[in-house]
Amino acid sequence: MHLIVCLKPVPRPGTVRVDPETHTLRRESAELVINPPDLYALEMAVELKERYGGKVSALMMGPPNAGPLLKEAFTLGADEMVLLSDRAFAGSDTLATSYALSRGIARLEPFDLVLMGKASVDGETAQVGPETAAWLELPSLTQVTRILREGDLFVAERLLDGYLEEVEFSGPAVLTVEPETVTLRPPSLKRMLAVRGLEPRVFSAADLGCDPERLGLSGSPTQVLSVFSPEAQKERLVLSGEPEEVVDRLVSALRKQGLL
Amino acid sequence: MGGFWIYGQRREGGFHPVVYELLSVAREFAPRLSAEPTVVVLGDEGVREAAEDLIAHGARRVLLLMHPELKDFRDEVYAEVLAGEVRERAPEVFLFGATAEGQALAPRLAGLLGLGLTAHCTAFEVDEEGCFVQVRPSFGETVMARIVSRTRPQMATVWPGVFRRAGRVENPEGMVEEVKLSGVPRSRVRRRKIRELPRRENPLSGARVVVAGGRGLLTKENFAKLFELAELLRGAVGATRPVCHLGWVSEEHMIGVSGQTVAPKLYLGFGISGALQHTVGMEGSEVVVAVNTDPEAPLMKRADIAVVGDATRILPLLIRRISEVKG
Repeated sequence: MHLIVCLKPVPRPGTVRVDPETHTLRRESAELVINPPDLYALEMAVELKERYGGKVSALMMGPPNAGPLLKEAFTLGADEMVLLSDRAFAGSDTLATSYALSRGIARLEPFDLVLMGKASVDGETAQVGPETAAWLELPSLTQVTRILREGDLFVAERLLDGYLEEVEFSGPAVLTVEPETVTLRPPSLKRMLAVRGLEPRVFSAADLGCDPERLGLSGSPTQVLSVFSPEAQKERLVLSGEPEEVVDRLVSALRKQGLL
Repeated sequence: MGGFWIYGQRREGGFHPVVYELLSVAREFAPRLSAEPTVVVLGDEGVREAAEDLIAHGARRVLLLMHPELKDFRDEVYAEVLAGEVRERAPEVFLFGATAEGQALAPRLAGLLGLGLTAHCTAFEVDEEGCFVQVRPSFGETVMARIVSRTRPQMATVWPGVFRRAGRVENPEGMVEEVKLSGVPRSRVRRRKIRELPRRENPLSGARVVVAGGRGLLTKENFAKLFELAELLRGAVGATRPVCHLGWVSEEHMIGVSGQTVAPKLYLGFGISGALQHTVGMEGSEVVVAVNTDPEAPLMKRADIAVVGDATRILPLLIRRISEVKG
């Protein structure tokens, strides 16, 4: 069984600086980590592999320096490391991102399942899974909590607005995985040794035969017109000084307003 | 006239509440776009029954796409059927609730048609050029972004609970258009069974007091003290997304874009800088207290009472002081 897991590099929370003038992210200052929800997709794929045999390919679209994150995925159970990296991918919205991913996935054919996290913690759109499935003309299943094989069929459970739906399909399909439905394991020591000296395979847009019009800004229908700060407000009380004194003044202020 | 479309997600013989919330958006903005508020419903012939209720709440058109195979939601089939209707009827706008079903369907449809899709909008505007503008918090920053798509329809999702439900209109005027589809694509995924999950009472819903914590509390142990304070104040504990991801508390305590929306009388935020992703979920709070070492942090600026100090020191002192005064 060949399982492809898509992993997104995201800035480690707290390491992103916002430019106070332009309100844009200074991503170059950010330290990258694997999008935490994607780790559940990786773990679910690794568990499937351990149970039924096969291999797991970790696929990431990101800057050239994202390579170590794929090596981390290897230590967590991935067998192949594939990085899609090209300046032409920069500025992609979810539609252009899912197009590039679909080209990368097609490159790894044949495969049985594509697994992704439910959403990224930076964009938080939860769109790339179903969009990628649409490009690949494959079924999509979101918020999957469990998957196993019965004969030639896959059987999966997914969350659907307060319901749990059980479905069957013969694959391939694109799944997004509900966080916390599998238990994450630490990296294996054996794999930490084995990954030394290995490097991810890197594919450019041209390697994947991408249509340049579908990539980056030109392939992204959504455009940010402007950004603005929500208006701040009314009169406020600022308390500062020794903590004990500040706490006394706070309690007194809340009491006066009948809030305690 | 172009259509201002809303996806009519069905639920238990009627519609998901978010459909009525989207109807209030449609009633406000459709006239300014010279578009017709339209709810698009997929199902078998049983969907006829609830359609009039949508007209009563201000839909000018209810488009019923009917086929026995559409009785249950199927990602592939619903997306294909909608793609066909969008191609044929070319609506201006198409909005979806950010429910599980909406989030499964809208991006699949966007992918099929090569359309832009703005996730989880909190407001809409019509600009000088008559363009429908989608507003959402931008990527964990403390800013909002105005977004448009170059493609039509403009597609967006909206979290349930962000907009008010549309009320009934006095003289409902609208038509129900029934389309009996002659065939629908086959789904490669077959439903075996479906069961309702037990509903868990959310700890945050309806809380009069919310004590929330962010990364400024530094450790899980410090964060846990919030539960003591919440108990003293008979309130609930809230959290920012990063601390949920750090495992300090479960995600059901998350406030904000991907979590709960709260509107307590008193909100206390400890070590929370105030990214919009969080603050959109607590804007309705009556009195906001923020505790942070950085007086310039966004939450400090919008607080009614801004306490400049180390949240890890202030929190235990506050617990002690409140126990004394309430003793």
